[in-house]
Amino acid sequence: MEQILWFGWFRADIILEYAALFWHGLQITILVTLICIAQGTTLGLAIGLARVAEARYAPARQLCRFALRWPATVYVSFFRGTPLFVQILLIHFAVMPLFVNPVDGLLISGPAARDIKQNYGAFLSGVVALTLNSGAYISEIFRAGIQSIDRGQIEASRSLGMPYWRTMYHVVLPQAFRRMLPPLGNNAISLLKDSSLISAIGLAELAYAARTVAGAYSRYWEPHLTISLMYWMLTLCLAYAIKKLEARYGRGDSR
Amino acid sequence: MNFKNMARIAAATLVLGASSLSAQAQGKELVVGSSATYRPFAYESPTKEIIGYDVDIIRAVAQKAGIPIKLVNTPWTGIFAALNNGDVDLVISGVTINDKRRQSYDFTAPYFEARQLMAVPQNSTVKTLKDLAGKKIGVVTGSTGDDIASREFGKTNPDIRRFESTPVVISELANTGLDAAIGDNGVIAFRVQEHKSLKTVSDPAFPKEYFGIVVKQGNKDLLAKLNAGLAAIKADGTYATIYKKWFQADAPTLPAQ
Repeated sequence: MEQILWFGWFRADIILEYAALFWHGLQITILVTLICIAQGTTLGLAIGLARVAEARYAPARQLCRFALRWPATVYVSFFRGTPLFVQILLIHFAVMPLFVNPVDGLLISGPAARDIKQNYGAFLSGVVALTLNSGAYISEIFRAGIQSIDRGQIEASRSLGMPYWRTMYHVVLPQAFRRMLPPLGNNAISLLKDSSLISAIGLAELAYAARTVAGAYSRYWEPHLTISLMYWMLTLCLAYAIKKLEARYGRGDSR
Repeated sequence: MNFKNMARIAAATLVLGASSLSAQAQGKELVVGSSATYRPFAYESPTKEIIGYDVDIIRAVAQKAGIPIKLVNTPWTGIFAALNNGDVDLVISGVTINDKRRQSYDFTAPYFEARQLMAVPQNSTVKTLKDLAGKKIGVVTGSTGDDIASREFGKTNPDIRRFESTPVVISELANTGLDAAIGDNGVIAFRVQEHKSLKTVSDPAFPKEYFGIVVKQGNKDLLAKLNAGLAAIKADGTYATIYKKWFQADAPTLPAQ
């Protein structure tokens, strides 16, 4: 392909040459981010609730402590306390082969396992790692949100005869969610950027496209500047969506 | 540098100093640059000692040529700069001899025949590169293997999976995430023997490449000595022994230049 120079130094031709890879990468990055935001939030809610689970009488009291709060605390501690990069490698090269393996997979084995690994292996491992990781962070946002609601609210609804779950669902969570939106938005943006780490296990997302071009041409400005702009555009869109959500759920506050 | 190394080099210097008639060899040891991240050619042992095929070769050559040497682990990205500014006197680091590099540096005769090599599962029927069409191929980003696969199957082909290093590619292949891997023969062959489920396949259509020892352009004196040393270890069987030690195969006959 003929050289195309922008501003006298930007080799646009090498980006155009790999345009398909960047386009495909953009789609994968968006897909991974959306799936992980949805799953991470769900997981975060569950873990967050487990972290604040309390009951007054035995055996529920002990159950809450040993079966819910402790495991949840250990989980959060592990996934916040180890690098995401290490978690991705651990899950892809150690945990996945244990469960999905043509010879003796615990979950899936036989030719189906091989098919899954070849076509979706890196995608699956990446999504699992990123979900588990963001779930830990999001659970802390939920915990803080729930604990920030005045105890009086809970006491009032309990004294009206509402059980624990209805108190949570109708009184605590709607108020907490409003306060949690800004940190949740923060988390979604981190998640989008962290998805670039999955390129290490060969998932063809945006960072992978840039690395491929850099490897082929030994040029670093063009590919990395290109994906930087693409990531930036994506985070701008996310930030806009969060702003809209805040406005929507914030209406109740503007009495 | 530990005491053992120092003692070894001191002993080598003494022996060589006594046996060699060359004035230059006496006293001054030459610095050899090698990037120790390329097992089995050059890598660090757990005790941070640089070992490997390249290291054995250069030690044997230096001994025959009567040159005392000192090995320095030099990162690959800066290895030619180090040669240019005199930080190292020569480089042995799996450097492929090609015309572009020949314009700027001088190479000794080849000390290794390199070629691209494919790694596939034991039950695979793949014979040539063409057989990999439609299959998932693992390569190291920007390597010769990446180049070959990109040229054959298209640069943006999603079936080409690029990774940062050979061990990762082989792990992915062993975990059945790939159908094949392409890379430098020495490194691929070494990694494959660690995995019973894999085998190597060589496509005769892959061009031959050679690794050479690199010196600064115009350093005829050193180049002549190294070539003489290399010829000597090829003649007396030392070369074949070293080759067998690292690659479990008989050494190929290399061209004189």
